[in-house]
Amino acid sequence: MAVFPSKAWFDAVRAEFNADESFQGGGGGACNTLMGAKVGGVCYLLTFEGVECSVAAEVAESDLAAADFILEMPSRDWQEMIRNIADNKGADLHHTLNTLDLAREDGLSHSVHGDQYREDLFFRYNQTLQYFFDASARITTEFRE
Amino acid sequence: MSEKPRDTTGGGVTPPASDPPQMEPNLKWMGKSHQWGTRVKPNKHGLRLGDLNVGIYGEVPPVWTDQTRAPRGAVARRGVPPLGYAIRDKVDLWADSAADMYEEAIQRRWAPATSVPWEKLAPLPDDMERAMCQICTELSQYANADVESVTHWQAQMAYGYHEIKQFLATVSFDGARHMEAFRKRALANGGGLGLEGPGEVNRMILESRGGWTEAVLYLFLMRGLFTQTVYRYLERYAPGEVERTLFAHCLEDKARHLTYGIDHLRYAVNHQDDQNLILQQLCIIGERVLVRELNDVVMREALAIVFGNGISGAEEGMQIYRRMMADYINRYLATLKWLGVERKMMFPAELTAYLKAS
Repeated sequence: MAVFPSKAWFDAVRAEFNADESFQGGGGGACNTLMGAKVGGVCYLLTFEGVECSVAAEVAESDLAAADFILEMPSRDWQEMIRNIADNKGADLHHTLNTLDLAREDGLSHSVHGDQYREDLFFRYNQTLQYFFDASARITTEFRE
Repeated sequence: MSEKPRDTTGGGVTPPASDPPQMEPNLKWMGKSHQWGTRVKPNKHGLRLGDLNVGIYGEVPPVWTDQTRAPRGAVARRGVPPLGYAIRDKVDLWADSAADMYEEAIQRRWAPATSVPWEKLAPLPDDMERAMCQICTELSQYANADVESVTHWQAQMAYGYHEIKQFLATVSFDGARHMEAFRKRALANGGGLGLEGPGEVNRMILESRGGWTEAVLYLFLMRGLFTQTVYRYLERYAPGEVERTLFAHCLEDKARHLTYGIDHLRYAVNHQDDQNLILQQLCIIGERVLVRELNDVVMREALAIVFGNGISGAEEGMQIYRRMMADYINRYLATLKWLGVERKMMFPAELTAYLKAS
């Protein structure tokens, strides 16, 4: 069991994601990006290198400036997404990263640098990022209210 | 690199056919190298195309004067007839990301035959099936324009910029894959191909005469960003897992094309005087064609039906369509602004209306 949000939770998901080679085929595969995640007021940086998510770190908000793009939602929306993934063994059509980015007033993915080239990594690696969060269905999550 | 002297020793030249075979080895060619002893090591990502850009092999000149197919860094042979490249200036094709994205395209490839769960394809109501098939018909035309445009220009690009040619080979393969995928979807669920699209933007892309940069603007930014936005909404409003998977895969490919497009346009703007003004004028011309094509109701209605889950929901679907158009136009304008291309002058009222409606 891992508590969300926490470094331990991201590490547990990383372990599942990195161990399953099926995530590397069929449109997945090499992914090189530094992704930020802002869950309420807590911030993380996740490093994707090659076919692995190699590092997850809790960071200060100012450190998110280094990220190619940042996924940001209020805690309740993150929890809804992760519960949906757990219930369906993967996000349903209303809870994919692409859908959340389209459906939410402020979107899901953004950056602090405004560099289109780096922001577009969210789209270039969208399936891999979805596979990563879908891997959370394989762990038991406890939510920090 | 193109300034390196051509080989004058005749090493490796085959003797006339009338002469008996030369029994003594020549081997003069074995000394021909501008930089021998190169030993590029693989890293944790493997041995990538961009890793090979070491020493003279990584020298990418602003102009490629050689008119043969001599590889960058090879010893050029004397007397090779020129084949004539039209695009020999780096500013006319370059993007720093091309080598990495070539690798990315290879490593992240997918196969419509096996990467889409066709066995889960379920019958749809007639109106939904007809709308989905119509969309696939027109999207396959878009993909065909990708292939034909890229292959037309690719042959005119100097071999010295091989990273660009190699990346564009993956773009044309992606286009072929998308044609395949959309055709398969149209023919796999009791429907079939629908009405040919108006093709005005396709024609504009294919008939671009001003150079590859102009084609990039129309193909990757104006049309490509539109297609990417359509893919995003079709993944969001997909009627089933097959369509969701298909459009999600296509979305990644299209994002890669767009990255090359904006990377090249940025390079061109930063290295060529007034390029931003040229792009501005091209936008004014291209947007008029885009507006004319958008006036065709067929694609719009088909998308609204899919977004609204049937004709009965098409009114709501049309609202989603308008939101999609606003998303597209906002990103189009934001990208141009980021490139340093101002787009206020003569911006079509028909496109502005989508922004106001949203």
